[in-house]
Amino acid sequence: MSDAAMPKEQTFHDLYRDHRGWLESWLSRRLSNGCDAADLSQDTFLRLLASSQRIADLQEPRAYLLTVGKRLLSNFYQRRSLEQAYLAALAAMPEDCAPSPETRWLLLETLQALDELLDGLPRAVRRAFLWSQLEGLTYQQIAERLQVSERTIKRYMAQAYEHCLLVDL
Amino acid sequence: MNSPTADARQVVRAAAQWLALLESGQANEQDRANLQRWRDSCATHEHAWQKAQALRQRFADLPSALALKSLDRPEPGRRVVLKRALGAVALVPAAWLISRQLPLEVWRADLHTATGERKKVQLADGSSLQLNTASAVDVDVQSRRLKLIEGELSLNVPGASPLTIQTRFGQVIVSQSEVCVRQDTRGCRVSVYNGVVQLQPLQGPALTLRSGQQINLQASGAGAILPFDALMPGWREGVLMAKDQPLGDFLRELGTYRPGVLRWEPELEALRVTGSFRLDDTDRVLALLAASLPLEVHSRTRYWVTLLPRKNSV
Repeated sequence: MSDAAMPKEQTFHDLYRDHRGWLESWLSRRLSNGCDAADLSQDTFLRLLASSQRIADLQEPRAYLLTVGKRLLSNFYQRRSLEQAYLAALAAMPEDCAPSPETRWLLLETLQALDELLDGLPRAVRRAFLWSQLEGLTYQQIAERLQVSERTIKRYMAQAYEHCLLVDL
Repeated sequence: MNSPTADARQVVRAAAQWLALLESGQANEQDRANLQRWRDSCATHEHAWQKAQALRQRFADLPSALALKSLDRPEPGRRVVLKRALGAVALVPAAWLISRQLPLEVWRADLHTATGERKKVQLADGSSLQLNTASAVDVDVQSRRLKLIEGELSLNVPGASPLTIQTRFGQVIVSQSEVCVRQDTRGCRVSVYNGVVQLQPLQGPALTLRSGQQINLQASGAGAILPFDALMPGWREGVLMAKDQPLGDFLRELGTYRPGVLRWEPELEALRVTGSFRLDDTDRVLALLAASLPLEVHSRTRYWVTLLPRKNSV
């Protein structure tokens, strides 16, 4: 990318050159794998490219990159923990009940989308919602499991529905 | 991302509350009529209602057990802990999944079992091969060789034409006999259940092992030949047996059949276990232990279980 026309303005190229190494080392201190840090740092810059933020106006580039980077890092852990739980569950299944190899990755993608959808819900609300949707438990059964009133479960469920529908809005 | 307008939020909230009321089983005729009126009164209401139904459908389409175990796991607040634990192992399951998707070749088959899985395979010559938990074997039918890469296998060769099991610590030649071979990083244990087996350790002369005999092979050579009880049921029958065994040893063995983390307090290590336990439900084995020994099972999830001494035990 050439910035000869506007030499004074900060360009993406400048940002990338000046801060990529710094961001990558920040990320790699929080990740055990250097490749992951490099990937996440690339992703962070990609987000910046795709965002409506005018690069020339960016006052504190490192603060901005760090905010985006932290969010990506947190998503990364979440996806990884989901992936691990999924694989462990898959491994524990009898072969003939498990989904076919072709559908395994597709299913993982669906679960990742739903996991992101549910992100941010309090633990109890999330569990109540999952038990209702996936196990088909009644509100009364969920109330017994969580040892709270049915009224509370109704509130939890409404909260969970609202949360998911708002994300999709 | 545009933030939704206050109106849109209000509609979503109403839809969520209607749905929760309906599902609670407490809605009466009047409520249902009111809901219908609410849906009919405005297109955005009906739209929100349809979206809520679509959301339910997304979950309904999932295989429930698998989805539940994946989505209902230790919460993201434990990310710091997870981070440390996950860093090292993250690539392993992916590699495992890929290898299991590879088609089996005719002459050179890679057989694997996941943690907790056991598998039985009939070979073309009438021999049968069984794999214990977390094991991997290369089968080369043409040269009649099996390579035990990791874990444990059982091989029964009824015919006279021998099959050779290759391990990192030597070779086991099996014909008209039945043998179990278990390998870890330090060594390899060979147990003969039927007939006679020839051994070639890495160091030292060849050996003959008979039914009811067991030996450990290591890089430095073979250990002493020891007797064992070949009639006692084991993993091949899906059973884990313990005779006055220290709990720590028992749990280390049980742990090889469970995905995830199984931990226990050091003071439980020396308790004694006796019994016969079914391997197909290791959660139940833990529950049985808790019923017969002064300990409690704490499960954060199925994959993160800690055994603690029972608090009010005398």
